[in-house]
Amino acid sequence: MARVDLAFATVTFKRKIAYKTTWLFSILFGGWSLLAGLAVWSQIIGDGELGGYDWSAMKAYLVIGFLTATLAWAGSDWEMANRILDGHVAIDLTKPVDFQRARAAEYIGGMTASVPAAILGTALAALAFRPAPPVSALAALLTGISVLFIFPLAFCISYLATMTCFITQRFLGVQWAKDSLVAFFSGMMVPIALMPVWLQGVAWALPFVHFTTTPASIYLGRVDTAGALGLIAAQAAWAAGLWFIARLIWARLVKKVTIHGG
Amino acid sequence: MPILEARSLTKTFRRPDKASGFKGALKHLAQRKYKNYTAVDGIDLTVEAGESVAYVGPNGAGKSTTVKLLTGILKPTEGTVRVMGRDPHTERIANAHDIGVLFGQRTQLWWDLPVEESLKLLKHMYGVSDADYKARIAKFDELLDLGEFMPALARTLSLGQRMRADLACALIHDPKMVYLDEPTIGLDISVKDRLRAFLRELVDDGTTLLLTSHDLADIEEVCERIVVIDKGKVAYDGPIAQLKAHYITTKAVNLHLEGPADVPALTEKFPDFAWAAGASPSEVTVTYESARFSTAEVLGSLTARLSPRDLSLSEPSIEDVIRRLYAGELTQ
Repeated sequence: MARVDLAFATVTFKRKIAYKTTWLFSILFGGWSLLAGLAVWSQIIGDGELGGYDWSAMKAYLVIGFLTATLAWAGSDWEMANRILDGHVAIDLTKPVDFQRARAAEYIGGMTASVPAAILGTALAALAFRPAPPVSALAALLTGISVLFIFPLAFCISYLATMTCFITQRFLGVQWAKDSLVAFFSGMMVPIALMPVWLQGVAWALPFVHFTTTPASIYLGRVDTAGALGLIAAQAAWAAGLWFIARLIWARLVKKVTIHGG
Repeated sequence: MPILEARSLTKTFRRPDKASGFKGALKHLAQRKYKNYTAVDGIDLTVEAGESVAYVGPNGAGKSTTVKLLTGILKPTEGTVRVMGRDPHTERIANAHDIGVLFGQRTQLWWDLPVEESLKLLKHMYGVSDADYKARIAKFDELLDLGEFMPALARTLSLGQRMRADLACALIHDPKMVYLDEPTIGLDISVKDRLRAFLRELVDDGTTLLLTSHDLADIEEVCERIVVIDKGKVAYDGPIAQLKAHYITTKAVNLHLEGPADVPALTEKFPDFAWAAGASPSEVTVTYESARFSTAEVLGSLTARLSPRDLSLSEPSIEDVIRRLYAGELTQ
């Protein structure tokens, strides 16, 4: 990582924590979602089992869901979109930096501002609800690596979504569509294992599944070590592929940039 | 070799062709129609190193679009641009290292951070050394009083402070070519004066400057050459002094007479001068060709024959000339 990437990431981190109330609200809301999820799923599962999850495993799944959602939603999609919508991209294009790389550093810097909240919330939830532990130390390590891949994946998906602003000139609908795709196909709302088989097939063919289902599957031992490594490789491939696709799209769109007025 | 060279530079935008009202909106939804709009139409522009060029024109003339083409933000529809031998669009990053850009209507400061943080990020972007950064910040502080608001959040700055900070952002890497798009927009007179003095110093130091502004005092005080564009085409390109010498051929005297001014009678009495009614019935303006009559001659004749209560001299400003250029009354 070059110094300029670090400088971009640091600036966004500082900007995020500059709004303390918003930051606090996001933690509280994340905590509330976890509590609500625990309440609902405890009623559904009871002492039984559903889709291979007993209550202890489901608690672990929900805590991982909280952790991954806290990170995945921590980026600043609207800021990236607004740069395009309000013409600020004109300023960005006069700077001697790669546009995509600069946005990635900013976005990931913003996400890291949520890391303390994610860690604190996960630790508190682990202490309070005693979820199932990782199946092995190796599974815990691979889960950690898998969680790290959420950063580039979240950026690439959000960056691709915000680039649609060049065509749509609005972002709200795109943002809703992207958020609902991520929430549904990642397994944040409902574990993928509880979906119909054909829908599971669709989910596994998309990158969103690697936000929550992949780390949770590795943690809970729903895949063996080879399977875990395969899932991590798939995350890396998605991140690299989406990065490359974004580059191609940007190269085409930048030729069509239109910024009216001063 | 010129620092900037644009040949037949053209930019055409596609705009929705939509009828007004609900019906128009529905029709556009079903059958989208677009019209091409040429913002910049075959402009040729050459700027030599160290020149200070004013790029002026009425609203919508294509000034900002030209700046965006020259800085590599937009890709020309036709024509070519070379800045220091590079295509600013395809070689954007290399070009950006050597240019400084300020858009008066858009800030490059990070809104929710202190000014200092924005400048430090720019330092990293341009790879400015610590020593150069310190020296430039000290210079900006001396000339723009930057130090007083360096720790302030950008969103808390006044417009004048914001513009001074933005100017520092545009110049932190000591660019060879600087584009300033409306740098004094919305500023009060004292801040404008300060910025103009700073820009004059910049030009004296050898920086090449392309300045767009609606404030002609910016232009007269900072630039030596003026390029006037209208409807995307160059209407005039030459030294400001030449523009004045060429087009400012008349002078005027404003007279305040004892009684009401009778313009037809005065015209008959002084047929070599042009007479026009003034702001009040007893005021009148007489215009004469400065090549034919000296001011002393005119004043002597008028005071002897009319005994005015008061009089003042006025000279058409560059603003009048440019207004007439915009109106198509003058051609190069």
